Amino acid sequence: MNAIGPVEPGEGTQDHPLTNPGTPGILATTAAARPLTRLYAAHRRAVHTLLAAVLLLAGGGYLYATRPPATPPTTAELPYPAQTVDVSYLGEVNVPPGTRPRTFAFEVLLGVQSGPAVTVTRVTQPYDGLSLTSAPRAPFRTESGAARKIVVTMHVTECGKVPRDAGLPFMDVTLRNARAIQVQSFILGPRYAHDLSHALQVACSNDFP
Amino acid sequence: MNELPQQLVNGLLLGSMYGLVAIGYTMVYGIVQLINFAHGEIFMTGAFGALSVYLWVVPSGTTMWIALPLMLIGAILVAVLVAIGAERFAYRPLRGAPRLAPLITAIGLSLALQQAVWAWYPEAKSARTFPQIDGGPFHIGDVTIQTGDVFLLVAAPISMAVLAYFVMKTRTGRGMQATAQDPDTAKLMGVNTDRIIVIAFALGAAFAAIGGVAYGLKYGQIDYRMGFILGLKAFTAAVLGGIGNIYGAMIGGVVLGIAETLATAYIADIPGMDKFGSQSWADVWAFVLLILVLLFRPQGLLGERVADRA
Amino acid sequence: MRQRSLIAITAALSAGALTLTACGSRNSDDKGSDSGGGTTVTIGVDAPLTGDLSALGLGIKNSVDLAAKTANKQKLVDGVTFKIQALDDQAQPSSGQQNATKLVADKTVLGVVGPLNSSVAESMQKVFDDAKLVEVSPANTNPALTQGTDWATSKKRVYKSYFRTATTDAIQGPFAAQYLINDAKKKKVFVIDDKKTYGAGLAGTFTAEFKKLGGAVAGTEHINPDSKDFSAIATKVKNSGADVVYYGGEYPQAGPLSKQIKAAGAKIPVVGGDGIYSADFIKLAGASATGDLATSVGAPVEQLPSAKEFVANYKNGGYKEAYEAYGGYSYDSAWAIIEAVKKVVDDNGGKLPDDARAKVTAAMQNVSFDGVTGKVSFDEFGDATNKQLTVYAVENGTWKPVKSGTYSG
Repeated sequence: MNAIGPVEPGEGTQDHPLTNPGTPGILATTAAARPLTRLYAAHRRAVHTLLAAVLLLAGGGYLYATRPPATPPTTAELPYPAQTVDVSYLGEVNVPPGTRPRTFAFEVLLGVQSGPAVTVTRVTQPYDGLSLTSAPRAPFRTESGAARKIVVTMHVTECGKVPRDAGLPFMDVTLRNARAIQVQSFILGPRYAHDLSHALQVACSNDFP
Repeated sequence: MNELPQQLVNGLLLGSMYGLVAIGYTMVYGIVQLINFAHGEIFMTGAFGALSVYLWVVPSGTTMWIALPLMLIGAILVAVLVAIGAERFAYRPLRGAPRLAPLITAIGLSLALQQAVWAWYPEAKSARTFPQIDGGPFHIGDVTIQTGDVFLLVAAPISMAVLAYFVMKTRTGRGMQATAQDPDTAKLMGVNTDRIIVIAFALGAAFAAIGGVAYGLKYGQIDYRMGFILGLKAFTAAVLGGIGNIYGAMIGGVVLGIAETLATAYIADIPGMDKFGSQSWADVWAFVLLILVLLFRPQGLLGERVADRA
Repeated sequence: MRQRSLIAITAALSAGALTLTACGSRNSDDKGSDSGGGTTVTIGVDAPLTGDLSALGLGIKNSVDLAAKTANKQKLVDGVTFKIQALDDQAQPSSGQQNATKLVADKTVLGVVGPLNSSVAESMQKVFDDAKLVEVSPANTNPALTQGTDWATSKKRVYKSYFRTATTDAIQGPFAAQYLINDAKKKKVFVIDDKKTYGAGLAGTFTAEFKKLGGAVAGTEHINPDSKDFSAIATKVKNSGADVVYYGGEYPQAGPLSKQIKAAGAKIPVVGGDGIYSADFIKLAGASATGDLATSVGAPVEQLPSAKEFVANYKNGGYKEAYEAYGGYSYDSAWAIIEAVKKVVDDNGGKLPDDARAKVTAAMQNVSFDGVTGKVSFDEFGDATNKQLTVYAVENGTWKPVKSGTYSG
């Protein structure tokens, strides 16, 4: 005995109990066919016309239903700013003498690869205990295909609230172009992580054990 | 806050479910000495039976208080039909055959049932969500009990009581006891052993179906593979409690469930054991417990009370 | 006596069965449209097409199929018709390796898209590399696959034929940690993983960064992926006082886990990686999933015009299953293979050279095109150069993007 599957189909072992056409249905159609034949004999021409009309309608309907979907208007949509902007880390820069203590600065390169011009409306970093200013001061605009260097100056306001050893720190940059405004986090990689940790350790050397 | 009471309840709930499924293993074994490895899949088909009732029989929007009894009936119906079918067409033809033949058949049947549900049940290729009982969890002291778990807490003891009554007091139940003790003599005494065997399969399937509904309510999802691991655990519980003994099945289940839960919760806190404490090790500890019990009591926890075998 | 030995045998059998859960493999072949004569190039697909992870796997298969059909329709490579052959790995490394061997044996296969799981990839890499058959994974995120097992200290590429369009856990885990500490202001995490290559790796990179940023780990736990009962763990999480749970693993377990943690009374978000970024996670976790977070590779689909086109074509393609988390990456992976084949055919005067596989692998290194997920090209390790990440949160029953990041290391 080959026992594959439930031998007696129980509830739910078949897709739908109703999809199983029973024999009574077939019997019923043969019984109903007899008056139909009589009808056909009496009105042969009318039936043919009707049949042709139904076929035509069905065919037309089929063609209509399966017509190729109207191609959506291909107006080249503008890209989101985050998809066109590159930010890369260049390196540490010296702060001019006379700035307040616990301040350090980095240089990053912001480039717009394609699409419309992008305006940087805000540059921040996520850690409490650090404040940030950028030069040029935001907002500033960068044309497509152009790149500009930005000096980011950070000041430690509270040593207890900065990460000493962040592995992948990032900067949050608010970008705006003709399409949208969005905040994108730029993770500047291990070299930035290293330089930031080092700068924070120097700035907070008195507080860190 | 003391975690122990909650963890014990967690273990009790898991164990009650093992116990409900273990009853089927133990009853069938007690009567025909067959380890019905397809029993885990009967548990699974029961759960799908309940889901089918919910999806296609009960009008949508029906409250669970009305739907749940209907789902239970559906679950039991499907599981019992599958079990009786399995007995009639897979096991009965092999009754005189060597022991290993029905065992292998059972494993094959288990795979076949899994694949059948996988292939033919709508959208069963991945997990299907199971309807839930509304209402917040209940708090008793430090212990939180989910609404879905209440069903299990109520159903497991009632099922045990009904089963005990059936086996001890009814005529058929006594016939089962007699068949378990000595099938040939029972037959000579006028017991219809074929019928008794079918009833044993059906009863085991009914309890597995209740377990299947409890599983769906507890975890909110069922899938075609749910019976496999749970079936193995339930079999383990049956052996732990003493295979052939219906009370042993429930006690074995509860002991196994609590052992797994406590192993997950506390072994990591023992100094030097933190590597062996996570849930991924819980099965190992559960089987260590099984081996220890079988070393000292090879017949299982309650295995000696032969008179109770059903 | 006989009965006892029978129990012993069955106990041994059941123990064996526990370790051998679901072996064997099932194949499902799918043919792209057979239009046009000339050479037929097969793109192999390896993904879990059945089982718990089939939602993601079928999305991968369908997306590759769409790429092949699109290339055929556009007649992108003259005289070459692409078709796909999809094999099911059931998320098992052993099945993956069998599939790899099978694909290598088929001489028309010039590239493979897949697999989904990092653990499966580990078992396939060498088979493909020995045959110089290029493999592009849309979903593997374990850093060791491209940068060697010592990737944290010294990066070294092991297999020249392995590429991926997905971003690695080396970025994904820390990104989640940064988000939780800085934006969500979480301080105490309970870390859970499933001990698999992907889950454990992700949990590891996350935990390291979370600690570096000053967060505390309230506890760790490893789940048993075969189980659905996480109540013991949920109780532990609740009593640990953690304000967030990080789960390294995939949605079939993450869904019930999230649900049971919430049910135990710990109203804290569960956070995971791209493995839980699936509609099925929300389905399984239920209503209490609101507020759960997932990081996933890539920018949100609605921000990329190319992605919108993909979504529309996918819809018109009549596929039954959703493209899920890796659809775009799978399409791009397949398209990268198609581009590489095109380059090789063009360089060889319009037909395939004899050592096509080695040539395609070499060409893959320089592939560059605008794909569904942005610019597609590969660095010296075979990793995607486009490294975007997005944090998604469950809101009203769907995943909503809440923060996006670009890695430019």
